[in-house]
Amino acid sequence: MRALTYQGPYRVKVENKPDPRLEHPQDVILKVTRAAICGSDLHLLHGLVPDTRVGCTFGHEFTGEVVETGREVSQLKKGDRVVVPFNISCGTCFYCQRGLTGNCENSNPASDVASGVFGYSHTTGGFDGGQAEYVRVPFADVGPMKIPDDMDDESVLFLSDIFPTGYQGAEMGEIKGGETVVVFGAGPVGLFAMKSAWLMGAGRVIAVDHVPERLAFAAHFAKVETVNFKEVDDIVLYLKDMFEGRGPDVCIDAVGMEAEGSRTHRVLGLGLKMEAGAPTVLTWCINAVRKGGNVSIVGVYGPPWNFIPIGTAMNKGLTLRMNQCNVRRYMPHLLEHIRSGRVDAKAIISHRFSLEQAPEAYHLFAQKRDGCIKCVLAPHGHA
Amino acid sequence: MPERPIPGAAADLEPSSRPGVPMETAVQPLAGARVPITPQHSAVPVYKHAGRKQMPPVYGTAQPPKGLSGVMRKAAYGYPDHWARHWMMLLLADRVDVWEHRLRRSLPWGLPAVAALVVGGVTWRRLSRA
Ligand SMILES: NC(=O)c1ccc[n+]([C@@H]2O[C@H](COP(=O)([O-])OP(=O)(O)OC[C@H]3O[C@@H](n4cnc5c(N)ncnc54)[C@H](O)[C@@H]3O)[C@@H](O)[C@H]2O)c1
Ligand SMILES: [Zn+2]
Ligand SMILES: [Zn+2]
Repeated sequence: MRALTYQGPYRVKVENKPDPRLEHPQDVILKVTRAAICGSDLHLLHGLVPDTRVGCTFGHEFTGEVVETGREVSQLKKGDRVVVPFNISCGTCFYCQRGLTGNCENSNPASDVASGVFGYSHTTGGFDGGQAEYVRVPFADVGPMKIPDDMDDESVLFLSDIFPTGYQGAEMGEIKGGETVVVFGAGPVGLFAMKSAWLMGAGRVIAVDHVPERLAFAAHFAKVETVNFKEVDDIVLYLKDMFEGRGPDVCIDAVGMEAEGSRTHRVLGLGLKMEAGAPTVLTWCINAVRKGGNVSIVGVYGPPWNFIPIGTAMNKGLTLRMNQCNVRRYMPHLLEHIRSGRVDAKAIISHRFSLEQAPEAYHLFAQKRDGCIKCVLAPHGHA
Repeated sequence: MPERPIPGAAADLEPSSRPGVPMETAVQPLAGARVPITPQHSAVPVYKHAGRKQMPPVYGTAQPPKGLSGVMRKAAYGYPDHWARHWMMLLLADRVDVWEHRLRRSLPWGLPAVAALVVGGVTWRRLSRA
């Protein structure tokens, strides 16, 4: 089959590789109909995730059609259309039984920091991803959700990751009604966090980024106020001043380890690898949020460590909440938000490409060129 | 600020309407889950980090370790994943992996080219001495 493969930092290509096969009786093989490129994939592309091997196929946000089923699979059959959570979860371990499918302990031998994830290096289990014609999906009766007949693949594609992730980000902000919420990062995850903050009854929602097109899109899509951090002297003081000198009630980090805005962190984290990426936004969140406030982290940081002002967080009495998204549990609820028209998830797709054009899509998305918000690949054509 | 910023604003105001509240649910297997899980078998080496007792029942088998980078990865997995050394060795192995692939790719034309240069150089020296 044709598949996108990693060739080393900043280089991906599309090449032939063997078709995936059933390796476990609970597996299915999917013919991939849509595969999105995620901000998380950029961390892989840029060589920041340990044990990313040459030849690895990325892609953890996809929909597909079942073409083969393992002998223990009972809920899915050939021809079913499904959307698949990015986490690979068994459904029966200590964590899955408590709803923490993003922390499943039965799908990743390489590390205890994460469950298995599709196409996300060997650090998350060494599974090939969905930016390919076909993909192996383990625990097929547990993760994948059938796509309702009246809905097209693109409408539900983002239930695989970014809509649940943004929603969980807002949820971890513990909004009770009327709070002021600042979302750092107006990328796909941030956009859904903003929408979700409104759904939960936030009183004011503010987006912070430095890409003007993205801020403009956020203002339109999520009806938020916007701040370009490159146009203000000191973003922390600016945000504090916006809320009577105290700062917002909730700050959400939807940027993660490749944040702009601090030369020190970029040199230490991205250049010298003395910390796992640049925790600039997390630092801003801790400094800007009001005392007793809530910082919610959905942006990805890697092991082993980062330089963050934990003493400030302690002294301010902050609540810090974070996790990989436990995608499966959000799917039915958020499907209803999409179906009812409250959230038009596919409206964030700015670019569509064939699989062969995937390297171009990566570079466009990485550089946020041409108003790029979200790229979607159609490995078998845009039918 | 608009009165009703987006359609459905505050639709999930009630925390109990939010699927992730509380984050840890009552203990129960998920729909479709099956126990016991049949263990997967692999024909290629798959590493687990030293802090983990057993292999999980399911894992990926993509890109089996190879060459010098493979040896380095094996050594890295000999340390538990809360050791910085584990991660630093993996990052280093990733760079070695890239160079190994470059080298392997350039062998078909690189090897003959180097051979030709060596033979040419030796002949040249012989001829110029004569
Ligand atoms: N927790 C999870 O389960 C989960 C799931 C999906 C994605 N993620 C992570 O969420 C993050 C965002 O993903 P995305 O797809 O939206 O990525 P993206 O790269 O499209 O968006 C990131 C945005 O942050 C902006 N940015 C950079 N520095 C900033 C700063 N200092 N302040 C404010 N904004 C800044 C960028 O301009 C960009 O618009 C990534 O780290 C990704 O890995 C986490
Ligand atoms: Zn993603
Ligand atoms: Zn599990």
